Amino acid sequence: MDSESVKAEVIKQVQTQYAMNNARELIEKINEHCFQKCVPKPGSSLSSGEQACFTQCMEKYMSAWNQVSTTYITRLRREGGQ
Amino acid sequence: MDALNDHDLEKLNDKDKAELRSFLNNESQKARVQSTVHSLTDMCFTKCITGNIKQGKLDKTEEGCMANCAERFLDISGLTMKHLQNLRQG
Repeated sequence: MDSESVKAEVIKQVQTQYAMNNARELIEKINEHCFQKCVPKPGSSLSSGEQACFTQCMEKYMSAWNQVSTTYITRLRREGGQ
Repeated sequence: MDALNDHDLEKLNDKDKAELRSFLNNESQKARVQSTVHSLTDMCFTKCITGNIKQGKLDKTEEGCMANCAERFLDISGLTMKHLQNLRQG
C-alpha cells in the first residue's frame, strides 16, 4: 500500500465506524421510546396494532431527530459555530 | 476490509498525515454535534410526544415543541455556564 491508499483506508474505516455508532444510538433510542409507548402491557405476542404503532413511532422519532438536528445546527451557525 | 497495521501507517507521507489530521478533527466535531442531537431528541421526545401515536409524521404542535425544547435546553446549558463563571469570579 502506498500513502494515498493508506489514507483512503483510514478515512473509509472512520466513516464506517461513525455511521455505525450513529445508527446504533438511533436504534437503541427508538426501541426504548417506542417499546414504552406502543407496548404498555406486553402480551404473548406483538399484536398488529402494536406493530402498526411501532412503525409510526419509529417514523415519528426519526422526524423528531431531524427537527432537533436542523434546530441545533441553525443555532450553531447563528452563534458563529462555537 | 483490509486491516491496517502500524507498518501501513508509517507509509503515510507528511501531506497525507496533515490531511488525515484535519479529516479526523472534522469528524470528531461532527460526532459531538450528533451526540448532542441524540440526547436532545431523547429528552424532548419524552416531553413533546405525550399522546398515543396516531401517525408517523410530526404534527405542527409536536414539531414546534421539539424545536422549542431543543432551543430552551441549550439556553439553560448556557445559563449554567454563566452562573458558574459568576460564582468563580464572585
